[in-house]
Amino acid sequence: MPALHNAPTVVRATNVSKRFVIRKEKSLKERIVNFGRSQKHKDDFWALRDVSFDITAGTTIGLVGANGSGKSTLLKVLGGIIQPNDGKVERRGRLAALLELGAGFHPDLTGRENVYLNSSILGLSRKQTDEYFQSIVDFSEIEEFIDTQVKFYSSGMYVRLAFAIAVHVDPDILLVDEVLAVGDEPFQEKCMAKIREFQQEGRTIILVSHSASQVEDLCDRVVVLSHGHVVFDGAAAEGILALRESFEH
Amino acid sequence: MATQAEVRAARLAELPFEASASAGPRSVGGFVTSVREIFSHRELLDLLIRRELKSRYKDSALGFLWSLIKPLVQLIIYYVFIGQVLGAARNVADFAIFVFAGLTLWGLYSETISTGTASIVSNGGLIKKVYLPREIFPLAATGSAIFNFLVQMLVLIAAILVLGQFPVSLNLLYVPASIAVVLIWGVAFAVLLSALNVYLRDIQYLVEVVMLLLFWASPIVYSWSFVVTAVKQHTWLLDVYLLNPISLAMLAFQRGLWQAGNQTRVIDGKTIPPQDWPASMELRLVVAAVVGLVVMFIAQRIFARLQGNFAQEI
Repeated sequence: MPALHNAPTVVRATNVSKRFVIRKEKSLKERIVNFGRSQKHKDDFWALRDVSFDITAGTTIGLVGANGSGKSTLLKVLGGIIQPNDGKVERRGRLAALLELGAGFHPDLTGRENVYLNSSILGLSRKQTDEYFQSIVDFSEIEEFIDTQVKFYSSGMYVRLAFAIAVHVDPDILLVDEVLAVGDEPFQEKCMAKIREFQQEGRTIILVSHSASQVEDLCDRVVVLSHGHVVFDGAAAEGILALRESFEH
Repeated sequence: MATQAEVRAARLAELPFEASASAGPRSVGGFVTSVREIFSHRELLDLLIRRELKSRYKDSALGFLWSLIKPLVQLIIYYVFIGQVLGAARNVADFAIFVFAGLTLWGLYSETISTGTASIVSNGGLIKKVYLPREIFPLAATGSAIFNFLVQMLVLIAAILVLGQFPVSLNLLYVPASIAVVLIWGVAFAVLLSALNVYLRDIQYLVEVVMLLLFWASPIVYSWSFVVTAVKQHTWLLDVYLLNPISLAMLAFQRGLWQAGNQTRVIDGKTIPPQDWPASMELRLVVAAVVGLVVMFIAQRIFARLQGNFAQEI
């Protein structure tokens, strides 16, 4: 992948911290009954602690770490879905978050209606969707079912359509959470080819993955998280080693 | 020739950094930013309203006719039991038009608030996964309430035409004014309550109960004259009654569409004078709208404060 000279920074995270408070009660009754003792019914922990980094345009960066190390939280903070308690995230360019394929699908609507709805959620205008529609359907290879309600889709068809929409949203920054392994093998290869095309086009990809081989294969930078702290930030191969090491703690 | 990647990098280098919503709520500026952000998502809003309408009655044979059947049955119940059996129709001319006008406007308000309140929680799947201006969900609920309102409005107008009571006069201007007041207050509460409902799910049940009470606090199945007679001794109570913006809007709506209310009618040999509408209704409506806008502003600021944790609380 071509590394650009003096590529601009597209994401800048400064001292980002996120604390989760888990209340064990939810209803009014429980709150009144436990009033004043509510501290006991709270658990809090820091999902992210003082995380800072810059990402330059065109890099593919892998966020890795053990379960519960805060990588998905970090991805959500970068995407603006969760606000940090402390610190700030600045970014520029169009961002698309692929945190779950088909998050915006409504089971009762047809594939066609969902394409329009989901592209709009991901930030495409109606005109752009009209333009890309055929290409989205071709990519998903489910043309004959496009006017069927998506609740009748097989899970494979569902993710194919969702992925097809996602890759047609022309993002500068793409956030990906464990969604690359979808569909059957030929479709997976198609997805990986698309990701590589994205890299060629200088898009920034931030991905969360548990697959060391995928990270090593795709990423040119790895950030290893452990208990909300950044424990390693650097080249992919060393990152994988650092990840293995972090498991032992 | 510059590659695609270089072109992109050059373009990105020109863009200013945007702090994601974490910059914290600034009062007026924050409100303006939010409104602008919602405006830029108007196509999505349109699609969400369609989704709501399409999915609601999908797979049912009668489809959206169901959204008419409910108010019509309500009309029959109130017309037969309150109007004929309990005798309210003896003091209210054209009782059917009167009740249906009230039910139509009330439907707009209660549907906006009740579906709006649940909207953030019921769209949890999206909110957890994609960043959107979240106000869009209560607004989409409002949009589908407006659609149902318009359908009922058509039935109401048809009924008025069939009965030959079309009220062509300047009073018709009260109709858009009353709808505006109802929408302002409805959206303000929908936005506020939808955010609170994320943290305390009891809100949506509480809203149901409160709406049930509020239904009787506005002149929907009983007329304004009835209220005036009831509190003859304490006229200050009338002003209290009119503090409820929905009661006021309801009166304005009836004044515009219910012609019998502005005329002297004779029912069973008894003369019914025109309604003694409250004084300076125009001014009251303007005040209700302005106060409503202030409430809407406050509601949006509270919403902006609370929405940072939506994704983890749902």
